[in-house]
Amino acid sequence: MNSNKVVDAKGLSCPMPIVRTKKAMDTLNTGEVLEVNVTDKGALADFPAWAKAGGHTVLEHTENDGVITFFIQKG
Amino acid sequence: MSNKVAIIASNGGLFDAYKVFNIATAAAASDKEVEIFFTFEGLNLIHKQAMQALSMPEGKEFMAEGFAKANVPSIPELVEMAQELGVKFIACQMTMDIMGLTKEDFIDGIDVGGAVTFLEYAKDASPTLTF
Repeated sequence: MNSNKVVDAKGLSCPMPIVRTKKAMDTLNTGEVLEVNVTDKGALADFPAWAKAGGHTVLEHTENDGVITFFIQKG
Repeated sequence: MSNKVAIIASNGGLFDAYKVFNIATAAAASDKEVEIFFTFEGLNLIHKQAMQALSMPEGKEFMAEGFAKANVPSIPELVEMAQELGVKFIACQMTMDIMGLTKEDFIDGIDVGGAVTFLEYAKDASPTLTF
């Protein structure tokens, strides 16, 4: 999946992945897609909740070798 | 739905600081308006010197290693991030008077207020959290 920007939050613990993602999302326009890579397992529940709170859409999420990748479309 | 989160920080240890600032930064990063009222020992968390060396609960010192391993940001880093995200800090005037502290004893960018200041803010906040 293509993205307009990528956030590398691997190795960071809560709440840093969300903080980094928020900052990156602020730079995008509505409809653009942000890719986030995290290793914090709390992200599995946190990112869908965060996206919902902000009116964004999680398009896809995958897990590979301990790295969780989200593609989130800005709402 | 309320877009405001109100937090009372009334304890001054390292664990208390993480509880307060993790929730505060997470809320601010979710586009919530956040205000923290620091009272009694909670004032430690924004005191220029005290915040640099907050203590672990007795018998839990072994957890220092876990903090390092989990790559958890330091309290001063979390505080800076919270302020950058627009979290508002209110120091309790009454506690400051009791402890002989002035605004200069605290980090920059804080406000000083009383219980009514916080209650007025918190009246339509959801959730209101106490630590």
